[in-house]
Amino acid sequence: MDMREITFGEALNEAHMLEMERDQDIIVFGENVSSGWRAATKGLKERFGRERVRDAPITETAFIGAGVGAAIAGMRPIVELMLVDFSLVAMDQILNQMAKSTYMSGGAVKVPMTLRVLTGAGTSSGATHSESLHGLFAHMPGIKVVVPSTPFDAKGLLISSIRDDSPKVFMEHRLLYPFKGYVPEEPYTVPLGVANLVREGTDVTVVATGLMVHEAVKAADELKPEASIEVIDPRTLVPLDEEAILDSVKKTGRLVVVDEDYKFCGFSAEVAALVAEKALSSLEAPVARVATPNVPLPYNPSLERHLLPSKEKIVGAVRRAMG
Amino acid sequence: MSKLSLDEPGLLGLYRVMIRIRVFENAVRRLAKEGKMPARFGLYTGQEAVAAGVSAHLGPDDQIGSTHRPLGHLIAKGCNLNRLMAELCGKATGFNKGKAGPYHLFDPSVGALGANGVVGGSVPMAAGYALADQLRADGCVSVSYFGEGGSNQGGVQETLNLAACWKLPMVFICENSSPEVQRMLGHEIDYPQLSIDRVSLRAANYGMPGSTRDGWDVLEVYKAAGEAIKRAREGGGPTLLEFKVHQLEGNLEGRIEANEKEKVWCPIELFKAKLTKDGVLTPKIDEKIREEETTAVQKAIDYAMSSPEPKLSEAYTDVFAEGG
Repeated sequence: MDMREITFGEALNEAHMLEMERDQDIIVFGENVSSGWRAATKGLKERFGRERVRDAPITETAFIGAGVGAAIAGMRPIVELMLVDFSLVAMDQILNQMAKSTYMSGGAVKVPMTLRVLTGAGTSSGATHSESLHGLFAHMPGIKVVVPSTPFDAKGLLISSIRDDSPKVFMEHRLLYPFKGYVPEEPYTVPLGVANLVREGTDVTVVATGLMVHEAVKAADELKPEASIEVIDPRTLVPLDEEAILDSVKKTGRLVVVDEDYKFCGFSAEVAALVAEKALSSLEAPVARVATPNVPLPYNPSLERHLLPSKEKIVGAVRRAMG
Repeated sequence: MSKLSLDEPGLLGLYRVMIRIRVFENAVRRLAKEGKMPARFGLYTGQEAVAAGVSAHLGPDDQIGSTHRPLGHLIAKGCNLNRLMAELCGKATGFNKGKAGPYHLFDPSVGALGANGVVGGSVPMAAGYALADQLRADGCVSVSYFGEGGSNQGGVQETLNLAACWKLPMVFICENSSPEVQRMLGHEIDYPQLSIDRVSLRAANYGMPGSTRDGWDVLEVYKAAGEAIKRAREGGGPTLLEFKVHQLEGNLEGRIEANEKEKVWCPIELFKAKLTKDGVLTPKIDEKIREEETTAVQKAIDYAMSSPEPKLSEAYTDVFAEGG
């Protein structure tokens, strides 16, 4: 495959272009998706027309619900939400209708919809423009939760998501958009439910997701002289590649979970519980979690930084795990 | 399919659908009281004219989104009575393997895309059905049912706006049993759902036509729905139709038969009188229709009662699409 270096945003854009070319039933709508300023949807309207790519009024319940309906009626909608925080005004359509219609109907209908949402803190945007919330969606039955961390995964996971017949929330950390990486020009898939072994190691397993994968890698680099760190990116929280995590912990005997989402009842707790249930005897140290405390995210950059996981905090957690 | 004037078979067809809904729901009431259904739920008694008059203009490829009083909508849309009754009884042979029950029932084979347990919940989805129709340019429409309570939900208001902005081929049907109607029935209301008597006034706010009609007059429903559905099919965009309705026996605690006061507003009694006066319906024809529908409903009950329970393993299936 021909690889070039492109950004995360450009990779998402390529996935849209290739899939929409292939399948007429794929439609895109959301707030300002026809404008050129957002990398993921740039040029889609010019190429595929205003019927298939359309701006919606700022009414998340209506247009997310329309996505659910269009999916049930046989289309394959990609609905874009400017920020994940805004999903909170449309929870009936997401958590009741999108998530449960397949089950409630006993499989009589399916909802092949991809809800793309931008996520993430670190831009001084305050408490309603900075959240991750993947734990919230992962908690509800019926939604696949996809969290890419690299341009390669962004393209491959988005193509897989579009082709998948279940509802997905596809979560894009906005600070990842300028990240560059090698990406094939051709269409390809990264399967949902298969973790990525980002870095092999023998002393400590670090499970991280989204932007935090990069912080974990930086921490692993810094710790090189003292410890060999294995970094695992689950890539999808639902379905979760449990085996990849368990196998790694069985090898290293130590686990640090890094999560930008809130700590309490969150993804980091789920991974810790998984290991406690299925690999406790392999653990040589208590599980450590580096996650955002249950505090609304403040505007002030120093306060925000103080709360968020970081390379420094991961390094500290690994050192504690190493005893 | 959508002739705006009806011949004799057409008139009797409307009458038959209304009888079918009433007989079916009366059976549901009985079965629930006898403990043969897992739950009690909202019924449609007194509103039959709306579903019958609207669905007379719809084919199996047109879609509807329904409410938590869905049986009238589903039966008028053509759902198979056996599988419908089986679903209500929670049986494996129901449309949805007994996982839906009344509030979440889907029968895509006739475009019945969802009863809905959340007030106003199906309305945004119905816009999605219409969007699919518009993109496929297949001449199909979607009909979105809700009540006057649902009409206040943010999602319904948002969807009225979205449908108008996107000129979607859909018709919003508000079945309003609001204060005005309640007062007619002599009920006292402390705090109403609405501060206006006509939900259709809101249509103008979103740039679509709206009107209010008597929902107990099936021919008025038929005519108004026919015009709105035709307009949607021809690309004219959405309409908000409001039908005043009397929920004669709105819940399962209610009686099987309407009382004398309510009978004045019973759409079936009213239509029967008109058809009789016009010489379309004779006692003999009436009796035949009622007998046939009663037999069909009894068959549905027998089917449901003799159907198996779902296997316990079914509790875990269909969380995701098959193969996913």
